[in-house]
Amino acid sequence: MSIPTIDPVSRAFPVLQADDLVKNFAGRCVVDGVSLHCQAGQVLGLLGANGAGKTTTLRLCYGFLQPDGGTIQIAGIDRSVDPEAAARQVGVCTQDDTFDTDFTVRGNLEQMSRYFRPSPSNLKERIAALMKRFGLDRYEKAKPETLSGGYRRRLMLARALVHEPRLLFLDEPTTGLDPQARMEVWELVNTLRNDGLAIVLTTHYMDEAERLSDDLLVLQEGRMVAAGRPRTVLGDLVGEHMLVLEAGDPAIPAVCDWARQAGLPEPSRVLSTLHLALDGPGLAQFSARFGELRFEVRPPTLDDLFLKLAEKP
Amino acid sequence: MKLLYRAAFQWQSRAVLGRHLTVYRRNWHTAALPPIFEPIILLLAFGVGLGGFIPDFTWRGQSVSYLAYLAPGMLAYTAFMTAFFQALFAAYIRMHYQKTWEGQLITQARLEHVVWGEVLWAATLGTIYAFIVTLVLAGFSVAGWLQLNWIGALLVLPLLFLAALGFATLGLLFTALVPSIDHMNIPFFLVILPLGFASSTYFPLEGDSFWIQAWLTLNPLHHLAEGIRFLLLTGELNLHFAAACGLFLLMIVILIPIDERLLRRRVLGEG
Repeated sequence: MSIPTIDPVSRAFPVLQADDLVKNFAGRCVVDGVSLHCQAGQVLGLLGANGAGKTTTLRLCYGFLQPDGGTIQIAGIDRSVDPEAAARQVGVCTQDDTFDTDFTVRGNLEQMSRYFRPSPSNLKERIAALMKRFGLDRYEKAKPETLSGGYRRRLMLARALVHEPRLLFLDEPTTGLDPQARMEVWELVNTLRNDGLAIVLTTHYMDEAERLSDDLLVLQEGRMVAAGRPRTVLGDLVGEHMLVLEAGDPAIPAVCDWARQAGLPEPSRVLSTLHLALDGPGLAQFSARFGELRFEVRPPTLDDLFLKLAEKP
Repeated sequence: MKLLYRAAFQWQSRAVLGRHLTVYRRNWHTAALPPIFEPIILLLAFGVGLGGFIPDFTWRGQSVSYLAYLAPGMLAYTAFMTAFFQALFAAYIRMHYQKTWEGQLITQARLEHVVWGEVLWAATLGTIYAFIVTLVLAGFSVAGWLQLNWIGALLVLPLLFLAALGFATLGLLFTALVPSIDHMNIPFFLVILPLGFASSTYFPLEGDSFWIQAWLTLNPLHHLAEGIRFLLLTGELNLHFAAACGLFLLMIVILIPIDERLLRRRVLGEG
């Protein structure tokens, strides 16, 4: 089984084009002017702390919720004009397991296909191929709740793909999985990207976002705070270099004073270390001023970004 | 609003209904036990047993056996109880615990289709159970214990389907309202018991007081039971039949938008 090959011209067009999305719940704006675009063969990672609006943004895009403002086009179809045709192009792997516990593994795939029209061609063969590809064939007659966490996720992914969508939404696809199962899911996502699927994923795991995403979109309190390639986003939001200092060093108060005077944010404390983000000139100034201090310089990671986002603006 | 009613006839609602039918078909042998044995036990215990102590039972001035009076009431009660419970307990479990609804809402089905799918399924099951009760009653007829007008019975099943649709919309209303499964006792004691028994199902409810007359006039289950009774005992179509049809249609027209709106708030957090 394979996803239909997508020609280079189609790859250039966004499969998902969502602009200026707004969503209010009980008078509170939880998504405020978010725009996201994703092309065929691309993985777009949505990042943000809890409550940043990631899942709500995803739910708006796949039609579970209706936006209060903004437009969503899926494969060129305006969701507000033809929601049914737009939904036909979309596969969703929700954060919680939403497979049907009244059906077996195979039954789940068969039943899922009945919620889509037109039905995929060669459905029997497609289901067999999906089960083989996701390693579910030996659990064909098992009830989903008897599967391990990793295989449940595989089933969720296979369900999301049964109707041959062009756009796949993955809401925290590896939460709660052990490291091996996570890596297996990463491998699957990677092959789906290579097949030409457009994929939008949310995750709390920074290594996952870094490894899988071609582009990142960072949300904070419902607003976009950065978008682009992971390295660009990190540079924009965190800084070029991350300084790691011993928190117990007697010179730390002086470092904090220096940072304050230089207009830098307060160094963040992580266990027994202090982290300070700096650009190139800032690093040169720091070295000149605190050359005698023991410190480590490393490139910023998405963990640094996450910690930064968790700080109150 | 038109779109909401149109959704009843769209393929997505049938897909949701089909899902429930598939699950039922797989478990039919256990699922069919209650509608077979419950009426047999109740007809034997109340109709034959208790009825034996009521030799001079009259209904609208006619002398009938209590078993003959009870049989149409049981048909009405079965459609009511089955549809209401399916739209309440079973739908709540699918919505809240099994996350079946969420799994459907990430497809081409929308909430209105899930709502119609649940209502249509509850009505279908109510009609299937009532049909099984009809077969049991036929068995009692063959045994010579019961004389019913079987031509009239042909009209009963469509009416029971409409009635079950109406009661399913009522059940779904409570599914949308009850805070948790522990609160299911509230609709049970506030709706099922009073409505189920004080509706000419198991005994005639008569009286000239304003409140009794108002209750009987507005009570769809009373009209359903009496409408079926007229058909099965006399072969006549009368005003109760028409009143039941009208009230159930009214219930569906009024309650479906309310159910959909409340469930939209509960399931999607919108509205």
